[in-house]
Amino acid sequence: MIKVKVEKKDTYYTKVNILGHAMYDDFGKDIVCSAVSSIVTTTVNGIISLDKDSLVYTVSKEGMSIKINSNDRTTQVLIRNMINLLKELENDYKEYIQIN
Amino acid sequence: MRLLKLNIQLFAHHKGQGSTSNGRDSIGRRLGAKRADGEFITAGSIIYRQRGTKIFPGTNVRRGNDDTLYSTIDGIVKYERLGRDKKQASVYSVAE
Repeated sequence: MIKVKVEKKDTYYTKVNILGHAMYDDFGKDIVCSAVSSIVTTTVNGIISLDKDSLVYTVSKEGMSIKINSNDRTTQVLIRNMINLLKELENDYKEYIQIN
Repeated sequence: MRLLKLNIQLFAHHKGQGSTSNGRDSIGRRLGAKRADGEFITAGSIIYRQRGTKIFPGTNVRRGNDDTLYSTIDGIVKYERLGRDKKQASVYSVAE
């Protein structure tokens, strides 16, 4: 199961951890993992393209950690959109992804 | 911070860890010929084990309910053609 942990300070997103494996299917056929990977990569690359100092990400075997440095509106809206999409995914694939 | 390379299996567990629900099979039924052409056979002996009629019963041969062919007399086994594309097994007594 992929576990998404969201950290906020006041109303601003400060950190998002996406850890674990979906285990929906074998490597190469795991559509839940594919959706999560695509949503996260699109968001991270979008924010970096706008301002490369807005966030810092680290990728490891366990997953990905995103530290959000900027409270500007664009960065926060893109992160919120990412989290909303991951929540939509959670509605359909509860056993494979969990957001808290 | 450089752009992230898109890896759509980033959160998938890695190769080789997959499990499969296949991997079961029944024990082989040892079908096929039990007596060769020209071999002597006693009455009641099995000639051919099969599913369906790959080989049809011929002279002095009968078919069991599992399609097994067996001899009704002592004699010599003969595999013969039956029509254009079928085969049959017959048993001819030694005197014939």
